[in-house]
Amino acid sequence: MFSCLNLRRRLRGGRQGSSSASWDAMSKPKTQAPAVIHKVIMVGSGGVGKSALTLQFMYDEFVEDYEPTKADSYRKKVQLDAEEVQIDILDTAGQEDYAAIRDNYFRCGEGFLCVFSITEQESFQSTSEFREQILRVKNDENIPFLLVGNKMDLEERRQVTVEEAQARAQEWNVSYVETSAKTRANVDKVFYDLMREIRAQKVAAAKPDNDKKGKKKKSGRKCVIL
Amino acid sequence: MGDGLARILSKPEFKPENFVNRLSLGGEEDLEDMRHKVQRLSEETAVALKKNVYKNYSQFIETAREISILEGEMYQLSHMLTDQKGIMNTLMELSLTGDNVEDAEEVEEEVVEEDTLKSLAFLLEKVEGCSSVTEVPDRHLVHNGDLVEMDPETFLQLQKVHAFLLNDSLMIATWLPYRRGPVKYRFQTLYELDSLAVVNVRDVGNCKNAFKILMFPDTRMFQAENPKAKRQWLDILEESKKKKSALDKQRKQAAAAAIQEQRVSTSSFDDSNPFAEEEEPEPARPSSVTLETELLHVEWLQETPEDLDVAIAQRDFEGAVDLIEKVNEYLQNYPRVLPVREYRARIDHRIKQLTEVLMQELQSSPERSIRGGPRAARRAVAQLIRLGKSPQACDLFLKNHSAMIKYNIRQLKIEGATTLYIRRLCEVFFSSITETGQEFMKAFPEHFACFSAFVVWAREELQAFVKTFGTQVFQSKTRFSTIAECVYEARHSCHLLSDIGLELLFALDRMMEKDVARLIQQTGDHQVEAVKHRAAEDLWRPVNFQNADSLKAFEDEMNELGLTDIHSYTYDKVFTALTTNTIQFTKAYMIFCEDMLKVHCSSHHHMITSAFVDILTAQMKHIEKSVVSEHFKKEHKFVVQNAQFLVESVLPLVDRKYTAVSGHKLPETGDLCESFKRIQSLAKVTLGEFV
Repeated sequence: MFSCLNLRRRLRGGRQGSSSASWDAMSKPKTQAPAVIHKVIMVGSGGVGKSALTLQFMYDEFVEDYEPTKADSYRKKVQLDAEEVQIDILDTAGQEDYAAIRDNYFRCGEGFLCVFSITEQESFQSTSEFREQILRVKNDENIPFLLVGNKMDLEERRQVTVEEAQARAQEWNVSYVETSAKTRANVDKVFYDLMREIRAQKVAAAKPDNDKKGKKKKSGRKCVIL
Repeated sequence: MGDGLARILSKPEFKPENFVNRLSLGGEEDLEDMRHKVQRLSEETAVALKKNVYKNYSQFIETAREISILEGEMYQLSHMLTDQKGIMNTLMELSLTGDNVEDAEEVEEEVVEEDTLKSLAFLLEKVEGCSSVTEVPDRHLVHNGDLVEMDPETFLQLQKVHAFLLNDSLMIATWLPYRRGPVKYRFQTLYELDSLAVVNVRDVGNCKNAFKILMFPDTRMFQAENPKAKRQWLDILEESKKKKSALDKQRKQAAAAAIQEQRVSTSSFDDSNPFAEEEEPEPARPSSVTLETELLHVEWLQETPEDLDVAIAQRDFEGAVDLIEKVNEYLQNYPRVLPVREYRARIDHRIKQLTEVLMQELQSSPERSIRGGPRAARRAVAQLIRLGKSPQACDLFLKNHSAMIKYNIRQLKIEGATTLYIRRLCEVFFSSITETGQEFMKAFPEHFACFSAFVVWAREELQAFVKTFGTQVFQSKTRFSTIAECVYEARHSCHLLSDIGLELLFALDRMMEKDVARLIQQTGDHQVEAVKHRAAEDLWRPVNFQNADSLKAFEDEMNELGLTDIHSYTYDKVFTALTTNTIQFTKAYMIFCEDMLKVHCSSHHHMITSAFVDILTAQMKHIEKSVVSEHFKKEHKFVVQNAQFLVESVLPLVDRKYTAVSGHKLPETGDLCESFKRIQSLAKVTLGEFV
């Protein structure tokens, strides 16, 4: 009859197993204090040049051929104002249809580069959707965020005016930068600017008296550590 | 000295090398001496052993018997264990799918589809605590492989895991530190593919071939073995997600359509149906969907599949069937919408399982002891009937009993007289049939359709019985009396089957007809031959018994045969008016008649009748001849007396016996009387000539 007991335990095991799984995830050993990592997420509709910007920043190369990204993550050591940090870039798929999946991407980001193509009005319009979703997921008005108008080298095909874009940036209380992945114009700037914002945010969150921001910070991905 | 040697040899620390060494030192004489000693010792030992055997003879027998019983029990035990193993194995395979996982890298889509059933079984076997995962119907394994989990922050390796990609979710299992049998992994977590975000991690430094899984609140990072493996993971993950979402979309659309339809028919229908997504494509009644889903959330119902597993494992078949009936009753009144159907599938699978186990229970295998007996069978049969599998149950039940009968018959030892063996055979066989019949009626009450199966079975068994019977009886060179006795025994036993309402006598007669007919013919012919033979040697002399005692013995003998008027044929205290021929004939004829009447049945009626008449007629003819003959002119009175004995004593007696068995008068007795009258007149004529 021993086999039956075992059996029942095994049969029941499935349910208990799932509840303990999250515990495992939380109590993961933090082996060593990692160098500061700033997590940047590239968002924007398909074909605006998110990957191009990322690759230019990472490897100083410009890829002409377009191939839709699924989701790629990059990491690189950079010198941020005399401090060595790591930048973790999540290059998301502009074509991702599923809001639920996008939510999962956004949750792990500390700062966002919201990219549109100045040659495509539609891509500019959809930035508000991305913004909206990010705010909803992060639940933080002050989340580090840059509005990036890419493909500035293609001035002759411009559909989105600087004024238009800046107006929106102002409305959101974020900066607007125009870049060209092809010429590398402003590529470093957007990443470094965003990292600085992230750093500032983190510093602010670390201050115990800054109650409000701290809370918000916690609603971000760090809550995993709790 | 011998004792000393025995002591040395039986010492626990006895070393043959040393012993021989020491021996060989002493030279030839010592050796020779030792040889004698050893020889003597061996003889003594043999004698002692023999003595001991005699002394403990009864104990030996008892021990041997104990051992054989133990052996039987071990067999049974081993069989039960095999059974248990089988049950465990089948349990493992519950609701699961395809074991082509080992080389999952080459797994083609179709292959996965083909034996989905097995691969989830593989899961259950290898992963501890994943039974809830495997219970979802239609779920199957798409891909799996070893991965190394990494810290998403530091990129340090954390632990080895094994990931299983199912068609709708991703399961992560950790390696067990201590392997227990086939179980290698422990279930850790399961991610639905719906909202699972997969991120390809570009190689950086030591971190190669990694990818991330984002599923709030977890961020998990895994490292594949090589770029190819990683590519595969990403591709398959992507593809599975697409497939799933396409499927979901389909379902949703169908559900929406269903709602639309519903709206058209009942305008009052609530707009926001929270269960719309769970609806099945066919236009079900959305209003009942709520009900259905709630219906399935009853706790005992959710527990039932597991409870069934346990019940089957514990061989609590009654309990299992109770549960199934309860569920059936519960689900009966509800339409078969998707959630119910899925649940149904789970239950059905277990019903199948249970049926198989029960069938196995009834299966008779050579190594299986039959001692478990009819009670165990009845139990399994009852449950099978409750499951609505009465035909199978009936079939197996009867097969089981066939095996039992065969076994019982084999237990009978063929020794001693055939009659004795046949009597025991009949006893065993027919009582088995009776028992089976009674058992059958208990096991299959109200299942009248099965009764015809029983009758057919009984007939088949009877056929087998007749075959055994035939080899023992008809094909052996036994005397007709013995054969008749055996046939009588069989027919008599067979007739007793009518106690359970089974009439097989006609079938038995039919099966034995040819053999019996042949025997009747043969024996009849023999008798006629014997009559002729004796006639040739007949001297027509009265028998002188020498003393009164012998005559008395003769009279007794005749009385015993039923010839009560024998005293009228004796005279002078030592004489009888009958010839040796007549006496021999009468004895043989009476025995023959007795035997014939034992095998009498309607189909042999005519043969028997004519044999009766023929033999007697032959004898009468001999007498007639004798009367006419010149040699016996002086003996006419004596001859007539003998004829009179045959016609007036033997014939009526035979007729009486014949009538008692067959219900008819013996025909053609008239002819015999005629013949007697003829003899009388002939005798008178010849007497008259004398006078």
